[in-house]
Order: sequence, then C-alpha cells, then structure tokens
Amino acid sequence: MGLKSYSRGKAIHLMLVYTGGCNGCDIEIVNCVISPKFDAEQYNVFLTWNPREADVLVVTGPVTRWNKEPLKKIYESIPNPKAVVAAGSCALMGGVYKNIHGDIPSEEICGPVENIIPVDAKVPGCAVRPQDILAGVVSALPKLLNAK
Amino acid sequence: MNEKNKSNQEAIIETEVALGTVHPAALEPYRLRLFVEDEIINDAEITVGVNHRGIERIMEGLPVEKANSLTEKVCGICSNAHIWNSVLVAEKGLEIDIPPRASYIRVIMEELERLHSHLLYLGHGSEVLAHETFSMRAFYIRETVMELLRMIGGNRVQYGVSIIGGIRPRCDLDDGRIQKISDGLDFIEKKVADFADRFVNDLIVMNRITGVGQISKKDAIKLEVTGPTLRATGVDQDFRKIMKEYQDFDFNVITLSNGDVKDNILARVLEIPESISIIRQAIKNLPNGSIVDRSWEMSDTDIIHSHIEVPRGTLYHSYKIEKGKVRGAIIRTPSMSNIGAMQLACIGNHITDAQLCIVQCDPCFTCTDRAIEIIDLNKRID
Repeated sequence: MGLKSYSRGKAIHLMLVYTGGCNGCDIEIVNCVISPKFDAEQYNVFLTWNPREADVLVVTGPVTRWNKEPLKKIYESIPNPKAVVAAGSCALMGGVYKNIHGDIPSEEICGPVENIIPVDAKVPGCAVRPQDILAGVVSALPKLLNAK
Repeated sequence: MNEKNKSNQEAIIETEVALGTVHPAALEPYRLRLFVEDEIINDAEITVGVNHRGIERIMEGLPVEKANSLTEKVCGICSNAHIWNSVLVAEKGLEIDIPPRASYIRVIMEELERLHSHLLYLGHGSEVLAHETFSMRAFYIRETVMELLRMIGGNRVQYGVSIIGGIRPRCDLDDGRIQKISDGLDFIEKKVADFADRFVNDLIVMNRITGVGQISKKDAIKLEVTGPTLRATGVDQDFRKIMKEYQDFDFNVITLSNGDVKDNILARVLEIPESISIIRQAIKNLPNGSIVDRSWEMSDTDIIHSHIEVPRGTLYHSYKIEKGKVRGAIIRTPSMSNIGAMQLACIGNHITDAQLCIVQCDPCFTCTDRAIEIIDLNKRID
C-alpha cells in the first residue's frame, strides 16, 4: 500500500448529485452520513459538495434532460482515480418514470446513468436503504485504493 | 458626505450572483440569481424546471390504481400525502365511503410523515446554519420516526399505504405495533423538547436567525403562501380544521407573528407536539372493523378536485376517470406557491443569508417541477 492510497483510505469524500429523482434516495444518502445511527464518518467517509475534493460520485435519479450536461461536467471535474456509484432504481434503469408505459411516454428522461457516465457500483432499491449505500460505496473502494 | 464619496456611491453597480443549477450551497438542483448591491440583495429570482419529469404526462391513460402509485413518486418527503390525496380524488368521484379504521390509520401515517418532514426541516436548516451538532441531533430523532414508518409501511420512504377503498392489509395496526408507536412517540416528545430547549437557549444561533428573512402577513396573503410558512406570519389557516378525516381529533393551530427564520423554525417545532397528540388520540380511539372496502365499481366521472393539508402546505390533485383510466391530471404542490415567499424573504438581507431565507420556507424543488400554464388575465379582459 503506497502513501497515496493510504492517505486516500483515511478520508474518502462522497459527492452526491441529484439528477431529478424524487428526493427519497438523496435524503437517505445524506441520512446515512449525517445520522448518528449509521454514521459513515466513523469509517472515514465524508460528504462533500465540491467535485474537486470528491473521490466517489454518488448519482441518484433518472437524469432529466437539463441535468445531463451538468452531470458530465461534474464527472469530468473530479480528479482521477474516481469511482461512480449509481443509487436507486431510477439511476439504474430510469425508474418508474421511464418504465410505466402510459399513453404518452416521458421525453424528459435521458437515463439510466450508465448512458451518460461509466458506473462502477450499482445500488438497487426504491428508495435505497442506508445499509445498502454503505455496502455499495465500500464495494467501489478497491478501484480507488489500488490505483497507482 | 463630501462630493467625492457621493460619486463613489453612485458608482456602485448592481451585480448578479448566479448559483446553480448544481451548486455546493444548494442541496437540490435549481437556479438562483441574486442581484446584489454591496452584499445586500436587491432582488432574487428562482428558476425551477431542472427536475421536470412530466408526471402528469405519464399519468395520462394509466389505470387509476397504477396512477395512484405513480403520484407517490412525485416527492420522496411527502410521498404518503400524494398517494392519499390521489386516492381521495378517486374515492370522491366513485362515492366510496372508507371504513373508519382505515381513515384513522391514514391519519396516523400522515402525522408520522409530518413529524419526519419537520424533523428533516430542522436537520436541513441547522446544516444550512452550519451547526452540524443540531443537524445530527435532529437526524437522530428522525431515525425513530423512520423506523415507525418502516414498521407500518414496509419501506423507509415510499410506503404505499392508501388504496382505493381503504388501506393495504399489511399496514394494519395490531397491539404490538401500537405499543411500538406509543413508545416511539414518548421518545420523540422527550427528545424534541430537549432539542427545542437547547436551540432556543443558544444565543449564537438565535442572534443569527432572529429578524432574518422576514415576510409580513400582508405579503404572505398576497403571495398565496401556504402551510407553516403562512402560519408563522400570523395567519390562522390550517386545512386540517376543515378536513373530514380530522374532525374526530382535537388539536391547536400554531400561529406566530414575525415570519422570520426563527418563527419559521419555532412553528415547526411547536407543530411536532400537536402531531404527537393527534397520533395518541388516534391510537387510543382506534375503531375496530375492516380496513378496506372492496365493494365498489369503476365508473366514469367528471373532473374531481381534492385539497389536503400536507407538512409543507396545501396539496391539490385533480383528474377525471374515463373507462378506468386517468385523464387530465393536475398536481399542485405547496412549494410551488411558496416560491414567491422565498424570493421576497431574500430581499434586503445579506448574501450569506440568502440560502437560509430560501430554506426557511421548507422548499422541495423536486415536487415543485410541474408543468404550468401561465395565462395573462389582463389580455383576456381586453
């Protein structure tokens, strides 16, 4: 284990991006970092809103048309090595908004997230459970820590 | 003031500070433009529409039961309120009388949701104040409410309790669940009292929030503000007082007078014991009997309207049923009418308080992104 990966392992910064979901997953993710019950900060996982500081990008929501370009820009401005976690059924497959098949399909959804940026870990659930998010983030960590 | 200073003052130019759509200060994507003159905000403009998913469009032509489940996905915070109101529209149109037990359990769910929404507001507000300790305490209390919601609904966010004619059988309350709810309520009441005590006695926090983002009663009525934001300005208006479901319960409407950030926070804190008292009355007098009435038949209806009071204000749903399918759905969420208040509250404050002034109105921009049609009434009169 090199010095870089040692120091990375001591402070993993999550960045959360909302791309037009229902707010349920977003609050659960904030909850699993801030709430004393789950308290991801004890495993050196911190929440940040600045892409330049972030290591792991957590994306929720089905990516509406107006959120497509900002999402790409945020992904590009995160320094390497980086990992992307797609959380919630909307981020995985466009969710209920894309797959409900009414008379008029919605033209606003560009998702799932995979179409726009590469995804390393997928966390299912509507809404995702805090335990699953922690597991998903942990499973994306080897990519960060083993990078040269 | 000498001549030189005067010319300098005239040279101050109004500048624009644009935040968003994705910005570290704002948790949800929306665009905020602040027109600033020397750190003081002259005007503010909020643009929503980034999150527009077109729920009303994809609701067109869905079977009513499926459409009701879809309305739950409008908002992850007040999901129960959306499905409840959507089901109420269908029940009004098809003239279904739901069993009293089902009505009581719906009220319990709605009040638990109000607790979780208000505690989230306290947590989010404290985070915007940069007071992480208060934020963590609020999230700690909220976790108990989330566990209760999960116990009844089976999921932490989208519960899906209401169906046409009553509630889902898995959401019925037995003695064990009632005991857990009353234990949880005791815990929440005690912890919220502690939290409020510390919050009000914290001089630093109080100095930071008193008098910031004031909205007068007159402006609030003019801008059609709803919910606790309206009640914090001194208007005694609560839809629960005239809702049929709440007629059996005895509760007070909390009104405060200033309409600043402090009163907005206190209004939510004081509403929590009222919600707890409603849930206690409901579990004490919970009627026996069936929880779902399945003896109804689908028929065509006219356009039906329904209003209910949700944690953030008044929610409106309407649609008509044609051959068992939904046509012409309209949803109006409370944050939609509170946007005016958010813009007004920013004016005259420092740029550092802008985010606080917006958060004081309890915004939920994800459910606000509805398609709206603007009709110029003046043109129509001509």
